[in-house]
Amino acid sequence: MKNTTLTRRTVLRTAALATTALASPFVRGARAAATVFPKGKMVLAWHTNIAARWLDPQQHDGTASGDNFLMALQDALIKNFREVRYDHPALAERYEFAEDATSATFRLRPGIKFHDGSPVTPEDVKWSYEHYRGAWSEVLHEKTQGVEIIDDRSVRFHFNSPFLDFPILLGTANVCGAGWVVPAKYYEKVGQDGFMQKPIGAGPYKLVSQQPGVKLEFEAFEDYYRPVHVKQFTMVSVPEAATRLAMLERGEADIMYFVPGELIDRVKNNPKLMLAPVVSGNWWLEFPGFQDPKSPFHDKRVRQAISLAIDREAINQAESGGMGVVDGNWINDDVEYYIQWPKWERDVAKAKQLMAEAGYPNGFNVDWITPVPNFYSRGERIVAQLQSIGIRAKLQVMERGVFQKKMEGGLKEWRGVQIIMNATRIGGTWSNWYDSMFKCGGFQARDFFCVTDLDDKFKQYLASYDAEERKNLAEQIQREILENYYFVPVFRHAFVNAIGPRIAATKWQDVFPTYMTAGYPYPWEDIELKEAAATER
Amino acid sequence: MGQFMIRRTLYAVITLFILSLTIFTVVRLTGDPVTLLAEPGARAEDLDRVRAEWGLDRPWPVQYLAFAKNVFTGQLGKSFNYEMPVSTLYFQRLPNSLELALAATLISFIVGIPAGLISAVKVNSGWDSLGKVVALLGLAIPGFWLGLVMILVFSVWLEWLPTSGQGDWRHLIMPAVALGWYFAASLLRLTRSSMLEVLRSEYIKLARLKGLPGYAVIAIHAFKNALIPVLTLAGINLVVMLNAAVIIEVIFAWPGIGRLLYEGIFQRDFPLVQGVVMEAGIMIVVINLIVDILYAYIDPRIRLTK
Repeated sequence: MKNTTLTRRTVLRTAALATTALASPFVRGARAAATVFPKGKMVLAWHTNIAARWLDPQQHDGTASGDNFLMALQDALIKNFREVRYDHPALAERYEFAEDATSATFRLRPGIKFHDGSPVTPEDVKWSYEHYRGAWSEVLHEKTQGVEIIDDRSVRFHFNSPFLDFPILLGTANVCGAGWVVPAKYYEKVGQDGFMQKPIGAGPYKLVSQQPGVKLEFEAFEDYYRPVHVKQFTMVSVPEAATRLAMLERGEADIMYFVPGELIDRVKNNPKLMLAPVVSGNWWLEFPGFQDPKSPFHDKRVRQAISLAIDREAINQAESGGMGVVDGNWINDDVEYYIQWPKWERDVAKAKQLMAEAGYPNGFNVDWITPVPNFYSRGERIVAQLQSIGIRAKLQVMERGVFQKKMEGGLKEWRGVQIIMNATRIGGTWSNWYDSMFKCGGFQARDFFCVTDLDDKFKQYLASYDAEERKNLAEQIQREILENYYFVPVFRHAFVNAIGPRIAATKWQDVFPTYMTAGYPYPWEDIELKEAAATER
Repeated sequence: MGQFMIRRTLYAVITLFILSLTIFTVVRLTGDPVTLLAEPGARAEDLDRVRAEWGLDRPWPVQYLAFAKNVFTGQLGKSFNYEMPVSTLYFQRLPNSLELALAATLISFIVGIPAGLISAVKVNSGWDSLGKVVALLGLAIPGFWLGLVMILVFSVWLEWLPTSGQGDWRHLIMPAVALGWYFAASLLRLTRSSMLEVLRSEYIKLARLKGLPGYAVIAIHAFKNALIPVLTLAGINLVVMLNAAVIIEVIFAWPGIGRLLYEGIFQRDFPLVQGVVMEAGIMIVVINLIVDILYAYIDPRIRLTK
């Protein structure tokens, strides 16, 4: 993805383009909204239980599950939408980010309403932001001087200092919920608990009923500013994958999330169904304690040899049916300042030579290779492939809670010669990845790596208000990690979903158009049923 | 009698206290629920905020006192995931579990008791062999596997029944059969052995010698007495099905207590797991207490035994 520097000029240019390019579909959309009559019923088979907090953007937990629900029920000022990463105008018809990054002004669309018929006002925007207590709330509140209501449709955020990440944070649905607007008076009246029982939003679907944790019944919101195609929409929690697939085959569900590997062929062999392999989390190998000269991983040549010995294509084929992606970076391509990196070569002979040069002609023993639970087979493949260069390892499997606990414990929990096969998907900006996964003291990095030079550069990045400088530093840090094999990227796996025959789609991307930044098929309002399915009783 | 009741009540309270301590400690040994809630990459500050919100940053004794207070008020705390009182969730799901457990019990009765009866009456015949095979299959085939096969056959291939969820009577058939299958087999075996024992007793021989017709001997004299242990087992089975039909409820997406417990364990939802276990514990302890008191009322020897 092309990275652009955020300046006043680019923002204004985007805004100008937005008012022309984006306005036309919305004019079309407004006309269409009047002529599109929502029809039929669609069912989504959700793969875990449904947590109540996912209906309330005020409690956004900073993870990727909630945005599936927020995108149906709620709406934000700006958001990730189709190919737009974070600044698609949603409730705001346009916004302007000051060149010095000390303020941002949003202009609301005219006539937008919440599901109870009350208008979406700048007061609601201000209240939602000021009362937001979810992920990133401390950072946002600390950096914000105040929220000013300019007129009955405009609101301006003032910052204490340049706040370059503000639009990214505000508009990335799987990172932060501060830009999602809730009806202030209603929320105050019913409180947090009341809101979760009967949430009201401004999204394309209003909640009709809910069975906590089990089922959510929605109905198309007629006053939404874009056309909504399906009248009734049900999200039902079905933890067992085989049951979800049976629902899809039987026509009881139209979309199912998470088809595990053993069921992929069953979907492939059914001509009525369509696989939707959304490329998701990135996987890499890391070497806790490699800074210790006694560690065999201290030598860059050993880390490079490991990279050369891994058959990434085979892993992708076996683990994601070939539907994942083998690329060069350990950071996903949907975040700010990501750098593209060429595919890693595989050359076992060269790897053996490097091992010999590093003083390990006969390899060495690794105490444990530990993959992120529950993806144990991936770890087994790494164990097998490293044998080709004489690295003899055992696989360590852990329950997820135990794994997380050990990760939090830092190096003292990972004594000896260890390789961790780690993975994540974080939205927004590259710095979220570095901060959590590599930085000394980071949430999942603890004291594993502690490359002082890079951490210093990262501090410089955080302190900088110069977008160009930040971009350069970001790229420099990523390059150094990759060139030094501090992390050895493996592949990006596919979060495989499936689509049933009632949905109108010629390819899976028609249903999952926001696949660049999300694993879920929003915008929900755009999904259509086939005519026969829409009119069936 | 008064002393007996006080003593028994005290035992019940001590049992519940030990249960509360055990479940409180055990769930906390399973790990930090906040790290499980967050996908890798969540910010440490956000996780700390959630820990503080859920009261997990407080010392264990303080957390235990809060839990004990919640048990006394009957709310059983607030679920981390559902953000609702656990008691509300429990009683919302209880009728669903009761519906499933009663249907499964009915199926186990319909299959298990007549088959056991026929096996015993026609012992060592072809019917008996068939009964043994049914019992063996019932005990050997896991309910979850049977459930998945039934979904494939009756929902996907034949399209006779809905795959999962709760709705009309058709939704109930497969989960009830999958759940009741094992219990039907155990009832079959027990009915058979109990009937065989009764049929060999002296009073049955006497009844036959008196010239009573075979059906009357079996239906009136033998079956009635053979049914006592069978009904005792059925009662225990019902309590198990009500509170622990975890796998069947998950496979059929049945919104019962078993699934609630599964979700609680899976998500490390401490208040939910504690609450469901305490509710089940209270149910069992109170029923036992009532039965003990009734026994003591009926049979004075019990209350006089120290």
